[in-house]
Amino acid sequence: MVRLAHRTYDRRIMIAMTIYIIVLVCVWPLAKAASEPLPKIGYALTPVLPLFYVIWIMAQKILRSDELEQRTHLIGLGVAAAVVSILSIVSAFIAAAGAMTIESTSVVLMWIFPLMMLSYGAARSYAARHYGVSACDEGERLPQYIRFIWAAALFAAAAAYLYLRGHRGDAADFLFGMSFALAVGGSYLAWRRWRQRRANVE
Amino acid sequence: MNNHVRHLREQRGWSQGDLAEHLDVSRQTVNAIETSKYDPSLPLAFKIARLFRQPIESIFVPGKD
Repeated sequence: MVRLAHRTYDRRIMIAMTIYIIVLVCVWPLAKAASEPLPKIGYALTPVLPLFYVIWIMAQKILRSDELEQRTHLIGLGVAAAVVSILSIVSAFIAAAGAMTIESTSVVLMWIFPLMMLSYGAARSYAARHYGVSACDEGERLPQYIRFIWAAALFAAAAAYLYLRGHRGDAADFLFGMSFALAVGGSYLAWRRWRQRRANVE
Repeated sequence: MNNHVRHLREQRGWSQGDLAEHLDVSRQTVNAIETSKYDPSLPLAFKIARLFRQPIESIFVPGKD
């Protein structure tokens, strides 16, 4: 099977995430306004479509990886599944005890996918370093911190748009939270890269 | 496990990227094998042996453990 080039993968993920943000900003708010159940469900589930595409393209990337890359992907996915499972069961017990409202439960559910991606990326990066390789060969693609900052800016712009339009709800809070998390991650990666470069010079 | 992959590759004047292309793996995987940070699977080890036309045991040498 032909390996999927990093640049192709990055381009497809960036396009899918841009579509996701556009859908979340333009279509998702219609779900709250719709009165009929069918259109309500349709509008509410539209943001899931680009996410399905992201999962499919990630599966393609893993399938076309070599054995060492597949091993690091497997470690990353295993850790991510463990983290999300534990946090889900903790949230479920809290919600079942009545300590959390239905609204806050939906916010927790919305964070499952980003949390899974974040823990997958962090665990995979750690596993890759164990084998003396980088999770992303920066010689072949944009530096990781730039991709994080780009995504943070995209999420921040969408959150600002929703706030300005007066849609101060779960979607705007979620986008702002994502933007903040990505900006923190991007800053950490930029700092780590700067430290590595300085160590190489010395 | 130790190996002579780097030596064999350099004998042929190949870069890590060239070897990676021959083996259909990433350049980083070649680097991990050469530095003994990763032991390849049997199919990949046989592929390396076939590529360099050497018996597998002359390329991969068991370590102390």
